[in-house]
Amino acid sequence: MEGPIDDGAFMVELDRFQGPLDLLLHLIREQDIDIFDIPISKITAQFLAAISGVETLGLDRAGEFLELAATLVRIKAQMLLPRPGDLDGELEDPRAELVRRLLEYEHFREVAHRLEEGEAERVRHFGRGFVPPRAAPGPEVVSLELTWEELWAAALLIGERARLPADHHVAARAVPLEDKLQLIRQALTRVPRVTFRTLVAPFGDRLHAVVTLMAGLELSRRRWTSLRQQKPFTELWFYRREGPEEAAAAAVGGVVEPVAHAEQAVDAEGGDRASKGGAE
Amino acid sequence: MKTTQIVEALLFASDAPLTAADLARGDEGLDEEQVEAAIEELRSDYEATERAFQLYEIAGGYQILTRPELAPYLERFDTVPQNPRLSVPALEVLAVIAYRQPIGRAEVEEIRGVGSSGVLRTLLDRGLVEVVGRGEGLGRPLLYGTTRRFLEHFGFRSLDDLPRPEDLPIVLRSRSTSTGTSTGTSTGTSTGTETSMSTETSTDG
Repeated sequence: MEGPIDDGAFMVELDRFQGPLDLLLHLIREQDIDIFDIPISKITAQFLAAISGVETLGLDRAGEFLELAATLVRIKAQMLLPRPGDLDGELEDPRAELVRRLLEYEHFREVAHRLEEGEAERVRHFGRGFVPPRAAPGPEVVSLELTWEELWAAALLIGERARLPADHHVAARAVPLEDKLQLIRQALTRVPRVTFRTLVAPFGDRLHAVVTLMAGLELSRRRWTSLRQQKPFTELWFYRREGPEEAAAAAVGGVVEPVAHAEQAVDAEGGDRASKGGAE
Repeated sequence: MKTTQIVEALLFASDAPLTAADLARGDEGLDEEQVEAAIEELRSDYEATERAFQLYEIAGGYQILTRPELAPYLERFDTVPQNPRLSVPALEVLAVIAYRQPIGRAEVEEIRGVGSSGVLRTLLDRGLVEVVGRGEGLGRPLLYGTTRRFLEHFGFRSLDDLPRPEDLPIVLRSRSTSTGTSTGTSTGTSTGTETSMSTETSTDG
């Protein structure tokens, strides 16, 4: 019943197998061997040949393969020994325990395969999930060009910005460019320079940031302000430019009660948001 | 507000399955029966109007998920979170734990024939298994069981959705050829509450 051993036929890559039981099952199933009547001598030889490269796997994994190899050799020896007194087949077949383990492992291997199929089906259904943030550029070391007051103000703003909007409006709200032009002008009549962040913070809305930047660019084009940034992604500063247009710009009316105007802008914004929230 | 709207809103906003009891807490005077009626109404509504999503029963609850036919369109976007897949060793360990829970690490390793501590650690970290107690015997080993997250990962309603031993072709075929010694079924170490899980394919010699 034991054919010649063809060493070449079962050269297998051990890495492909989850472990020694996986490999042994492969040898058995590949050759259509009856698992309840394993030709133990043949299988042992094939198993030993297959694990000839076992030392490359590292000590732990190699040990697992060698342990089963030892078990096979032991069973083979037991099969050769005469079993006196086993007249009615009461003594256990030396292979029985191995067969039990193989079938048990095969069962779970099949279950694992079914789980994989279930997983494959499940991943085709998408639920609601958060959108992972894009990789942020690494922190850059920028030499500070700030007064302590500015630093303090910026620190206070951190809490402000960290607050997430409670809800998310998709509908675009018009933010007039004129408002932002006026806001920048008013700010720059009080201080010689102001950060983009300071101008945007009270509104906490991307659209305001966009329009404020547009307004800054527009004023820069009119040579009323200059925009400065030390490096990409660092603080953007709006500087007042002293020039002939300043007087003209002041005549537009932006200088009158700048603070009150700024508050008005904020109030209008807040009211707008409140009414919108109420309507929804 | 209509019950269907409340139920739909809760399911829409949730990123995990909600049970009927969870949903019933959405409004005063709402009971699970009404919730289930609303679920049925929504289900047939989604079906009739060919919505991109459907109501699925997962882990004892309900969840709104997109239909599988739309997967190719969603998979194009790297901003849609992709569901992570498990490795073969991880699936094997999960398979053993799912059927034999509560079970200790040594028994898992005995069944697989390979060390499994690293895989087990990963499964614990991902919340797919958890420590459910301590076994008898030396050192009172930790015993592991599967979690709700496990059911969610595979889209199972409950552990009853696990493939049943009689549905597994290979082992059945082997047993049918067996003679004599393999008639007994072993309950082995399984003392789990899922009685349907404890029908083993192992053969007692």
